[in-house]
Amino acid sequence: MRVRRLRKEVAALEVTAFINLIVVLVPFLLSTAVFTRLAVMDLTLPAQSNNKLEQLKGNDLKLEVVIRPESLEVGDRIGGLIQRIDKKDGHHDVKALNTLMQAVKQKFPETRTATVLSEPDTSYEVLVQVMDAVRAGRSSNGGPKLVRVELFPDVSVGDAPIRTKGNAS
Amino acid sequence: MMLTPLEKRAARKERNKQQLDLNLVSLIDIFTILIFFLLSSASEVETLPSFKSVKLPESTADTHPRETIVVTISGAEIIVDGRKVADVADVMRASDDVIAPLKAELELLSKRQVIREKNQASKAAITIMGDKDIPYRLLRKVMVTSARANFTDVSFAVRQRFET
Repeated sequence: MRVRRLRKEVAALEVTAFINLIVVLVPFLLSTAVFTRLAVMDLTLPAQSNNKLEQLKGNDLKLEVVIRPESLEVGDRIGGLIQRIDKKDGHHDVKALNTLMQAVKQKFPETRTATVLSEPDTSYEVLVQVMDAVRAGRSSNGGPKLVRVELFPDVSVGDAPIRTKGNAS
Repeated sequence: MMLTPLEKRAARKERNKQQLDLNLVSLIDIFTILIFFLLSSASEVETLPSFKSVKLPESTADTHPRETIVVTISGAEIIVDGRKVADVADVMRASDDVIAPLKAELELLSKRQVIREKNQASKAAITIMGDKDIPYRLLRKVMVTSARANFTDVSFAVRQRFET
């Protein structure tokens, strides 16, 4: 007499349809995926109407960063030049600018506006980098972790004053 | 129960059949994770068009783009909402601050009726997508022109950079 043994079936998952779907979906999604995220940077255009009111407050800081071909000049519109940051390795030294901005921000914590003035031949990239350095920075604040701090988020853009002889020295 | 030779053969064949065993578990894992990742990143709505010829500068700004009129300045031409309005070379040659065709186009667009109340605020908004190599002189002309056409809320489109 033969013993009838129950033959155990190997469990098999039927995943072909699923794999088909995935194989089609992955290249499709990969081709449409965007890996660069876009953002916008808001500009604050100086309001023309309340010019007179603003001039009355003489003690306020009117921060100006002038982009020259060979340096960055940080100044106060009323108080004059604060510091000139020379180019480093052929690029504008945005890091030094950022450090200076953080120092200025500590002196004037209330100020939120700044103006970036550029010469006609300044490239857009440099302008954006300088605006970046003026808007926000990262500081350690004594702790081990770098924290993003807001500096002068309301940046407006303007023309650099034409350099005079005295200014250049 | 006796089997005919043919049935025996079939039974033997069935018994000796090698199970084709592809180990697909890890592959399916990866694909499933990839799909979720890609689906979530694809769901972000792109409001800004992208052009191959325009290399946006990098910035740490993290404001999301809004739906506004987009002025694209590439190395060769100025494009408003997908329509070319002026050549950069012509604009650079001109000494005038206002770019006439751009102004005409923008004025035309600003005349459009705003239907929804909440879109009223975005009427004066404009986004400038500039190539990173364009000089400030050109950018200034575009900004002056858009200010003349009553678009005062200017923002620059940038590529987001994540600080490490």
